[in-house]
Amino acid sequence: MTGAAREKEAKLLHPFFISLGGTLLMAALFTDFMYSSNGLMQWSNFSAWLIIGGLVLALLSAIVLATEVALGRAGTIRRLDFILLAAAVVLSVVNVLVHTRDAWTSVVPTGIMLSAIVALLLLVAGIRGWTVTAPRAPVRQSESWA
Amino acid sequence: MSARTSRLAGTLPALILAAGALGACSDKGGDPMRQYGPSPWLPEPTQYLLPPMSVPRAVGWKPGETPAVAPGLKIRAMASGLMHPRIVYPLPNGDILVVESNSPGSKPFRPKDYIQGKVKARAGAAAKGGNRITLLRDADGDGIPELKTVLVDRLHSPYGVAWVAGNLYVADTDAILAFPFTPGQTRITVPGVKLADLPAGPINHHWTKALVASRDGSKLYVGVGSNSNITENGMDAEEGRAAIYEVDRATGAKRIYATGTRNPTNLAVQPGTGTLFAVVNERDEIGPDLVPDYLTSIRDGGFYGWPWSYWGNHVDVRVHPQNPAMVARAIRPDYGLSSHVATLGLAFSQGETLSPGFAAGAFVGEHGSWDRSPLNGYQVIFVPFVNGRPSGAPVPVVTGFLASDHRTVRGRPVGVALDRTGALIIADDVGNVVWRVSAASAH
Repeated sequence: MTGAAREKEAKLLHPFFISLGGTLLMAALFTDFMYSSNGLMQWSNFSAWLIIGGLVLALLSAIVLATEVALGRAGTIRRLDFILLAAAVVLSVVNVLVHTRDAWTSVVPTGIMLSAIVALLLLVAGIRGWTVTAPRAPVRQSESWA
Repeated sequence: MSARTSRLAGTLPALILAAGALGACSDKGGDPMRQYGPSPWLPEPTQYLLPPMSVPRAVGWKPGETPAVAPGLKIRAMASGLMHPRIVYPLPNGDILVVESNSPGSKPFRPKDYIQGKVKARAGAAAKGGNRITLLRDADGDGIPELKTVLVDRLHSPYGVAWVAGNLYVADTDAILAFPFTPGQTRITVPGVKLADLPAGPINHHWTKALVASRDGSKLYVGVGSNSNITENGMDAEEGRAAIYEVDRATGAKRIYATGTRNPTNLAVQPGTGTLFAVVNERDEIGPDLVPDYLTSIRDGGFYGWPWSYWGNHVDVRVHPQNPAMVARAIRPDYGLSSHVATLGLAFSQGETLSPGFAAGAFVGEHGSWDRSPLNGYQVIFVPFVNGRPSGAPVPVVTGFLASDHRTVRGRPVGVALDRTGALIIADDVGNVVWRVSAASAH
């Protein structure tokens, strides 16, 4: 890979937003765990806010990704990363609804189970680099800079 | 975008729709009549994905419009243009006090609070309260007041009032105040003296403080609602809540008289026996037919279930940790009023003042549901009593608050009381009206 190609990849913005949202959604597993162990409602409230925040960032990520694809700045969509992230988003939509329940059942058992599945999906997506698109082929003019 | 990309992108909305459909499969409530009486039908609880919310739009009354009344009765407005009237309290001289009030307001805790507040506001629940008491004087008893004047203002979310031995006791949301007052007076200028503090902020989820005096006037009973639907603001916030207090009128000393009453929105002393009765609003979000609100006699030291259980020993799994010892102690209420009706008014009848059918029993104001489909309540009913106990089917007395298509609501009944002529007085906090129901043959 040439330096110029790396430079092109580094300009992609969507992984940044995905990593932010993914971090919030994964943090909800921790706050769910805290609520399930100590029963203090504030931890469940934290979870609800973290999941809402994660979903807002997911929406933002989708807009950024779509823009990058439309502008031709990103390469083709990588199927596995897309599925991992899309599944995490869909499960989190269900999870934020579960977290609107009052008291214990806002988290136990369904909420924390969903949070754990989402965290696992995001762990894989994160290790793979929070990136939905393949690296874009180096552009022609860049060769001369190398 | 490649064919593969667009196919992948297409799966996302489909998945979201599937999740939405899962949440939308909320069930419809059954016939409320199955839940009136001593042994209401109780279905299995459900857990929702989407919190159930269903409210009509508040539109108010057009000139000339009134609620409908049972045969043999007539209704007319005594006063209109009020600021969220909640409680009506007739004085011995015939004057009627109208408490105009609403919640002091609370800060949202979690995302859900923003949405639920907006939905309830649609049905007029967020209108500003007057924080005052208005006096209506109908000296000739024809139902048309000659005087409407502010008796006392700058109160703090007042609700219950009681006049005992030269003092008007007003239950603000955070304290009972005593104002020296003689019936006939039309203005209170001296500041109230605090008799006792009451549990209030910082959350103050159920803010109303119902108030009634014992028969001999030595004690005041106060209804204090829970600080949440079902402990979702934490157990610490429930210290001293969901209870009925007994306050010594002479000293202000208070003790908890009964517990486990989730939101005891009104209290009344039964004529003859002196027994304390309460209407209690029960918990939400475990089904359109759970849990029935109820009317019950209150025993000294009695525990009525909240939060650990409902209708006796039906355990609520949302409360953690559970408490089997308290569940075993929980008293079954006397009479179910069906689910989510939001009973706010309670007044015992005083003989055959309205009709022979209403000789023995209690009038109950049902403010109306916000989280049930189809809507329930939005009426004033009569609960017959036999041998001093609520018994038999309720009789609708005042209806027509809700439009027939259930899309709009013109008014919502709150407090009810009988005036000195035996006419039924009703506070309507959406129409901002005080209604008077009397026998068709009477004034």
